[in-house]
Amino acid sequence: MSAKRASMLSALLMGASFAVFAGTAALADDVKTITEWDLQTTPAAVKVIRDAADRFEATHPGFKVADTHIQNDAYKAKIKIAFGANDAPCIFSSWGGGPLREYVHANQVLDLTPYLAKDPAFKDRFLPASFGAVTADGKIYGLPAENSAAALIFYNKDMFAKLGLTPPATWEDLLKVIDVLKSKDIAPFALANKGKWPGSMYFVYLADRIGGPDAFANAVQRKPGGSFEDPAFIEAGKRLQELVKAGAFAKGFNGLDWDVGAARRLLYSDKAAMELMGVWEASIIRGENPDFAKKLGFFPFPSVPGGKGDPNAVIGTLGDNFVSVSASCPYRDAAVDLIKTLTDDKAAAGRLADGRAMPLKGIKIEDPFVASMFALISKAPSVQLWYDQELPPKLGELHKDTTQALFGLSVTPEAAAKQMEEAAKEELK
Amino acid sequence: MVDISARLAGDEPRSSRRLARDLAPIVFLGPAVLLLLVFLIYPLMSSFRLSLLAWNGLGHEGSYIGLANWWRLLHDGLFWAAAKNNILLAVFSVLIQLPIAVVLAVVLDGLGRGSQLLKILYFLPLLMSSVALGVLFKNFYDPNFGPLNALLEGIGLGGLQQDWLGDTHFSLASVIAVICWQNIPFYMVLFLAGLASFPAELSEAAVLDGASQMTIFWRLKLPHLKGTLRTGALLAIIGSLRYFDLIYVMTGGGPEGASELMATYMYHQVFASFQLGYGSTVASAMFIVVTVIAAISLRLTSRLETEV
Repeated sequence: MSAKRASMLSALLMGASFAVFAGTAALADDVKTITEWDLQTTPAAVKVIRDAADRFEATHPGFKVADTHIQNDAYKAKIKIAFGANDAPCIFSSWGGGPLREYVHANQVLDLTPYLAKDPAFKDRFLPASFGAVTADGKIYGLPAENSAAALIFYNKDMFAKLGLTPPATWEDLLKVIDVLKSKDIAPFALANKGKWPGSMYFVYLADRIGGPDAFANAVQRKPGGSFEDPAFIEAGKRLQELVKAGAFAKGFNGLDWDVGAARRLLYSDKAAMELMGVWEASIIRGENPDFAKKLGFFPFPSVPGGKGDPNAVIGTLGDNFVSVSASCPYRDAAVDLIKTLTDDKAAAGRLADGRAMPLKGIKIEDPFVASMFALISKAPSVQLWYDQELPPKLGELHKDTTQALFGLSVTPEAAAKQMEEAAKEELK
Repeated sequence: MVDISARLAGDEPRSSRRLARDLAPIVFLGPAVLLLLVFLIYPLMSSFRLSLLAWNGLGHEGSYIGLANWWRLLHDGLFWAAAKNNILLAVFSVLIQLPIAVVLAVVLDGLGRGSQLLKILYFLPLLMSSVALGVLFKNFYDPNFGPLNALLEGIGLGGLQQDWLGDTHFSLASVIAVICWQNIPFYMVLFLAGLASFPAELSEAAVLDGASQMTIFWRLKLPHLKGTLRTGALLAIIGSLRYFDLIYVMTGGGPEGASELMATYMYHQVFASFQLGYGSTVASAMFIVVTVIAAISLRLTSRLETEV
């Protein structure tokens, strides 16, 4: 009796599992799913992507786009696991540079050069410099997608006006502004450096202002005389520590988490006056706190006395995020069509409405705030990519670690530079 | 005809019973052994194998470099600093969590039926996800907005205000405090279960003999819990040596590696620096460290148990 019941049960179970298999098989036959991962988590940015996916689905019957939106730091780990486990999404986002090149050299990324050669009109819409971060060995592996993201200093205009301050253009002016703010018990800069990359921006700007873009390029390309122990990097470390000692940063900066909004919260509550951050911060603030957005202004990073760098140069990326197709994608042609849809004029207009300007030629920006940010970026003689994205991952991590230690005043600029140079000798042969 | 059917009817259950007896261990152990093989033994072996490679974890496997990664590990100050942090965590987990859990368990046990609500309340921290808890306490410790510094200021202890998570001197201790807070309920439940088997007649007899509650606790209840305490200590030590989640969420091992544990160090090597080979070496070394320390503590506590 019980044996009979058990066998009936197992027959039922088997039947059920066959039904399930049949079900998935039927699904797989009808719908071709293209997986897409990105790190846009604000509703407006997600909508731009979903709208592009809808347009793609309308013109490509039988295809379905499974879009997944993952938070910044979690994304970096998840994408790595997916590639390591041979389970990469068809379309993924990156910042280009060193990490993307790791994937390229492991033959994991589809070469887009032939596709772009077939459609020169599409490719020529982009600013030529925007492909720099996604080019490896002369081939293009990604399309600039989200934003022209330079780091600028954002500040509270009302607070500056009340205290009679003006945006500082030089280092001495900056130190004076810091003094005034300190005397009013306001933290000059909001900084949330748990993730280490926000603090790295100060170092990259200082090194660019002091040594110009060549100091870094020569060190990376191991040109004769190029070194991470170049005086430019050592002075950058000294200037950075000068800021720390002047009390330029909000309390607890090395432990605050940018991902949960710890830096913006300081601005909103009038506890801090400025923040050095990528221009995406402006669009987040507009979505998160429209009242505060009205008080938001920005100015370029000040010049440094005796510096070789052009004070108009910016650090950042033309593209912010780049979209690439993984080599393992079963529907390569369709996936390329999808990334073109993700970066087409309609998507660009959607991002513009969200305060983000794709690096396109002659882009017409009506919003005066975004227009003036973009004007600043387009007049820059050079755009230095974030060091942690340009360098190979191991060196990029070391750069962030040593910079956080510089902020913590627990290492000297000379020692930090020496650590970088020793690792560079091993990594960049 | 009748004969045969009777014999068949008598034989069948016996042989099937024997079959069942032979099969039972296989059927019951099979799934467990299979799961262990797939999710424990295989990953363990393959991480030992990967520890001999120079590989970034992408595409085709890297090159075989023998014991070079292990040599590097021996001279890697950051790994040993992380291991030291793990040991600190283990020591403080045992010294803080177990005594508080014993006291809570004994008090709650003594309250009888009325303690149900308290038991549930005390158990709550364990039910919360570590990530949510981490974010909660990040706000709690926040030096600009957090209630902790505000409280210190309010009661006139402003001098004790600290940058709890951003200062290299305090970040590890700050997270250890939260880890203890989260895990105490687990040991409390463990000890409550231990006390459930404590015979009531024993304490009644002791009371008749004029023993105070303190004496009953020290002389009767604590010795009764000896075995449970040993289990608790071992769980706390092993758990501390493999710890990852709250550290990852609250400090990411920072600042400047001040709260780095072996597991977060492994994570950074593999996922941030793209060094799967070296990260696997760290993982394998972690396995060895945990096994050795667990074996030593087992040995030490078993001796204690026989002597006392």
